[in-house]
Amino acid sequence: MALGDCWKQLSWFYYQYLLVTALYMLEPWERTVFNSLLVSVAGMAVYTGYVFMPQHIMAILHYFEVVQ
Amino acid sequence: MTSQYISWVTPNLDIYSRGRPTKMTESSSNKLLNGDSCHWTSNGKKSSKNGFVKSHGLFQEPQKYRRPREKNQNVTHNSSLYKKPFAESFEETPLLVAVLTYMGYGILTIFGYLRDFLRHWSIEKCHVAREKEEQKDFVPLYQDFENFYTRNLYMRIRDNWNRPICSVPGAKMDLVERVSHDYNWTFEHTGRVVKDVINMGSYNYLGFAENIGACANAAIEATEKYGVGVGSTRCEIGSLDIHEELEQLVARFLGVESSMAFGMGFATNSMNIPALTGKGCLILSDELNHASLVLGARLSGSTIRVFKHNNMQSLEKLLRDAIAHGQPRTHRPWKKILIVVEGIYSMEGSIVRLPEVVALKKRYKAYLYLDEAHSIGALGPNGRGVVDYFGLDPKDVDIMMGTFTKSFGAAGGYIGGKQELIDYLRRHSHSALYATSMSPPVVQQIITSMRIIMGEDGTTLGIDRIRQLSENTTYFRRELREMGFIIYGNEDSPVVPMMLYMPAKIGAFGREMLKRNIGTVVVGFPATPIIESRARFCISAAHTREMLDTALKATSEVGDLLQLKYSRRERPLPSLGWMAEESLLQD
Repeated sequence: MALGDCWKQLSWFYYQYLLVTALYMLEPWERTVFNSLLVSVAGMAVYTGYVFMPQHIMAILHYFEVVQ
Repeated sequence: MTSQYISWVTPNLDIYSRGRPTKMTESSSNKLLNGDSCHWTSNGKKSSKNGFVKSHGLFQEPQKYRRPREKNQNVTHNSSLYKKPFAESFEETPLLVAVLTYMGYGILTIFGYLRDFLRHWSIEKCHVAREKEEQKDFVPLYQDFENFYTRNLYMRIRDNWNRPICSVPGAKMDLVERVSHDYNWTFEHTGRVVKDVINMGSYNYLGFAENIGACANAAIEATEKYGVGVGSTRCEIGSLDIHEELEQLVARFLGVESSMAFGMGFATNSMNIPALTGKGCLILSDELNHASLVLGARLSGSTIRVFKHNNMQSLEKLLRDAIAHGQPRTHRPWKKILIVVEGIYSMEGSIVRLPEVVALKKRYKAYLYLDEAHSIGALGPNGRGVVDYFGLDPKDVDIMMGTFTKSFGAAGGYIGGKQELIDYLRRHSHSALYATSMSPPVVQQIITSMRIIMGEDGTTLGIDRIRQLSENTTYFRRELREMGFIIYGNEDSPVVPMMLYMPAKIGAFGREMLKRNIGTVVVGFPATPIIESRARFCISAAHTREMLDTALKATSEVGDLLQLKYSRRERPLPSLGWMAEESLLQD
C-alpha cells in the first residue's frame, strides 16, 4: 500500500526530527510549544517571501538593465 | 664533564630536526635504554637561555602537521618496545553531528530555564528539595542552579539507570519492571519481572558472577565456617586465616613479593595514595583517571600535574620539567614522583602504553602506580593483567593495585608490591586501620576463582574462560566496527564504548535495547565530555556466540532506527535503505 508506506516513512522522519532536536526527551506540551513556534516562524518567513519576491526580482532585473 | 652529563641524550637528533616521524630502530632504542654514552652531533640542539632544555628525550612529537583525522595516531612511536601491534583508534566526531548535538543541548537548556521559571513561580509542582518557608531568609541550603543539569536533563531519561536487578547478574539477568506516571520523578513496580535480559553492562569479564558452581559452593562452606560478618578491623582482631591465604595467593598470582587486600576497591585507591605520598611529592596522573585516584591524590596533599590521556610525549615533558625545575617556589628536588595510570580506562576502552611508561619511569627515576581495576583477569594470555599482556616484568611496576569486583565476581581491592612497601601500608594505611576487613564468603569466592584462573584446581576452566573472553572481544568489536558504528579504544579491550553523541539518543538507545531484551549501560555528561555520550558494552566470557549474535542484530536494528552509524571509514558493504544520505558524507 503506497499510502501506508508513505505514512511509515513520514513517521520515521518525524522520529528522526524528534531525536536530533532532543524533543524526544520533552513532555508533550513542550513539544507542542516548540513545534508551534517553529511552524509560525517558518510560516512567517514563507509568507514574507511570497509577498516580497516579485518586487525583489523586478529590482534585480532593473539593476542588471534587463527590464526598464 | 659535559659529555657525561649529556650521555643520556638521544644521539639521532637529525631525525627530530628534519621532522620525520620517530620510528626508532632496534639498536638506537636499546642504546638509549642501556644508557650508553653517545656522541654529541654537530647539528644537535642546545639548551636555550633560561635553562629549559627543549626537544630532547626518548619520545618526541613529529614536527610535521598532520590533518587530525583521528585523535590518536595508530602508529606507535616506539614500536620496538611492543611485542605485538598496539591498535587503538578514537575516530573524530563528524562536524554535522557535533553541531546537531550542541543544538539539541541548546534546546534542552532553553526548556530547562522555562521549567525552572514555572517551578519558581509555583505554576508547576516542584519535586526537588526545597527549603521551608521559615528558612527562606537564611543562607540557602540548596543552590538551585547547581543541579540544573540533573533536574532538567538527567531526570527526563532517568529510567535508563538504577534499574533493579532481581537475579544474579551473569550473562542473562532478570529486571524488575518499573513504570512512571509523572515523567520519571517517581517510579512504581508493576509486579512483573522482565526475564532473561542479555546483560551487556555488568563487569563480569570472566563470567564468575554465578550462583552455582565451585565458587558458590566454596563461599557457602566459608559462610558456614566463619559466618558473614567479621566484627573488627584488620589491625585489631579482624585478621582471619583466609585473609592471609588470600594475600599470599594474590602475591603469587601477580608475581610480586607481597600483597594486601582491602574491603572496597574505591577505598583502596583513596585511602592508600595518602599513605604513600604527601607534601613535597609530585603525582603525575592521566587526564582520564578514575574518581578514586583523583580523590586519593587530592587527599594526600601532594602537587598534582595532569598529562594528556595515554600521551607519552606529554608525560615525558612533565617529567623533564619536574626534574629540571623542582618544587614550585623553592626549586628543591621533589621527594618522590609518582606516575598514576590505569590498566584499562573504562570510559574510553583504551589500554595504557605500559612499555613506554616503564621505560620513562626507569629513565627519570620515578615510581609507578598501576590501577588494574578492569584489566586484571581480562587481559593477557594467562589472565594476569596488563603486565602479562605486554610481557613485562611485574617487578618493574612499583605498586600494582587492582580490584576483585570485575573479573573475580567478588568485591574489594588489593595492592601488591615489595615486602617493605606492604609492611609499611599495613601500619600506615587508613583502610587497614579503620575499615572493617573483608567478609569471609567474599574472600573465599576470590580464592576459588583465582585458583581456577591460575589452573591450580586441576581443570582448564580458567584458560578456557580467558580464551573465550578474548575471542568474544575480537568478534564483537570487529562486527560492530564493520556495521559502521564509531567504537573507541584498543582492539583487545573487553570494554567497548559505542558513540551516541546526541542527548535524545542516549535515552532512546537504552529504551529500545531494553524493548529487545538487552540491558546496556549508557553514559553521558558528566562522566564523559558533553557531546561525547556513549553506550558502553562489557563483554563477558559467559556470553555465548548466540547471545552475542542476538545482541549484535538488535544493536544493528537500533542503529538503523536511530541513525547511529556515524563512521566515515570505508565499509565493505554500505547499508541500504535510509542510509543514502549518510553515504554521501563519506569521502
